[in-house]
Amino acid sequence: MADLFRALINTLAVAAIPLLFIVFLGWGILKKVKVYEVFVEGAKEGFTTAVRIIPYLVAMLVAIGIFRASGALELLTRLLAPVTALIGMPSETLAMALMRPLSGSGSLGVMTELMKVHGPDSLIGIMVSTMYGSSETTFYVLAVYFGSVGIRDTRHAVPVGIIADVAGMLAAVWVVNLLFR
Amino acid sequence: MLNYIWISLVIVGILVAAGSDIADEAGNTYRNGIPLDVRFEVAKHPSHLRSTWEGTIVLSADDFNAFYGPGAADSAVRQPAIISVDASGRSTVLMAIGESSPFRWREMARHAAERDRLTASVAAMKLSGEENAASVRMVMEPVRFVKLKAVTAAALDYAATAVNISIGLIGVMALWLGVMKVAEEAGLLKIITRLLAPLTRRLFPDVPQDHPALAAMIMNIAANMLGLNNAATPMGLKAMEELNRLNPRVGTATNAMVTFLAINTGGLVLIPATAIAVRAAAGSANPGIIIGTSIIGSGCATIAGIAASRILQRLPRYRRQVEADNG
Repeated sequence: MADLFRALINTLAVAAIPLLFIVFLGWGILKKVKVYEVFVEGAKEGFTTAVRIIPYLVAMLVAIGIFRASGALELLTRLLAPVTALIGMPSETLAMALMRPLSGSGSLGVMTELMKVHGPDSLIGIMVSTMYGSSETTFYVLAVYFGSVGIRDTRHAVPVGIIADVAGMLAAVWVVNLLFR
Repeated sequence: MLNYIWISLVIVGILVAAGSDIADEAGNTYRNGIPLDVRFEVAKHPSHLRSTWEGTIVLSADDFNAFYGPGAADSAVRQPAIISVDASGRSTVLMAIGESSPFRWREMARHAAERDRLTASVAAMKLSGEENAASVRMVMEPVRFVKLKAVTAAALDYAATAVNISIGLIGVMALWLGVMKVAEEAGLLKIITRLLAPLTRRLFPDVPQDHPALAAMIMNIAANMLGLNNAATPMGLKAMEELNRLNPRVGTATNAMVTFLAINTGGLVLIPATAIAVRAAAGSANPGIIIGTSIIGSGCATIAGIAASRILQRLPRYRRQVEADNG
């Protein structure tokens, strides 16, 4: 059942982009759109959008880089470990919970390292990979998406993102403990 | 709120780095200025052609850990080294630090003036009775302010990384924005929007029902669920641009934008491809076992995010930011 689901989704993922090209551009031809000219017209915006993100991403990544390099995460992990032990969350996976919203490459490193030490099919290995799969790099998404339209006042976006991350991490810990402990 | 989080990351980072450097200095973690006695196994003696000794520095793990503290080395140290003698008769040890070097020396080498190379001055060197061994008393080049240096390097590195990421986006952005423009002109986006209206009307009540932002958001969410990150980001940014057209206050996020970002940061994904690949590479018997748990985890994150965005947008402090102009 799980294998079938996986095969189905994988096929869909492979076929999706060629299919989108055919349908979107083909529909354009049917509707007598000058596809080439319109494509180029739209593509022009790619450059300005990407360049507009730069200051936002620099601000965000530099702050995260400083925080990561300082060893503050390790300190925070040590401080919070006794609390998270109460909810069945091994202290090793706490590093993942703290890193996940901040840095994609950082959390990938944490996941790889923990699996090397504890084995991918151990409770910690399954939990840490579930946690990785349960969330996105919140602060990167915030910087890129808001940066692209020049939003500086993000209103409630940050608390919302953090609430979503905490919920994802807690749900991952809960479901893995339920099924694999 | 982002202001506070941003400045906290910077200030906490710098303070923790400074604190840890002060602790290192007080406890002399790197044993600056303290001589270390090692055995040097000579492979090549100096000749009339060169004035260097080549060989291996040998030290037991216990002796190394006794010097640097527990955990500094896991196994006996066998470190290739060159001892050179200059014109005034002073000798210097040069060690190329690599994978097989002890942990503490690798750590020190990362912060040395020349990466991957440590130097020490020789306080005393005596050839022992055996032909090819000497006892050497050496003082390592001092290591200081490790974390502050790392913080500085990270700040500069990440600034460059941010630009690389943005520049790297140009190509896919152009590709997808072009395709989307064709779909828009052909009226396809309107059709998609109309089909999914029952769903989007509930998620984004502030957005007019035939607005192109809805189609872009739906396609971004679908691409994310399939794990097609290259397609998801351009569509998401297109959606943000369309949402921004409805924004009465330039530079301030709208409710629909925050809800959309909540769905994106929740990261609902059907196949967590990266995590599965890492599990397979680590030798898992069943790499795909986390599919179900990840769907539950990311599903909870997404639902919590949407709910939080709906509740928080009603709070007076966030409402005021939107209504200040009108009222």
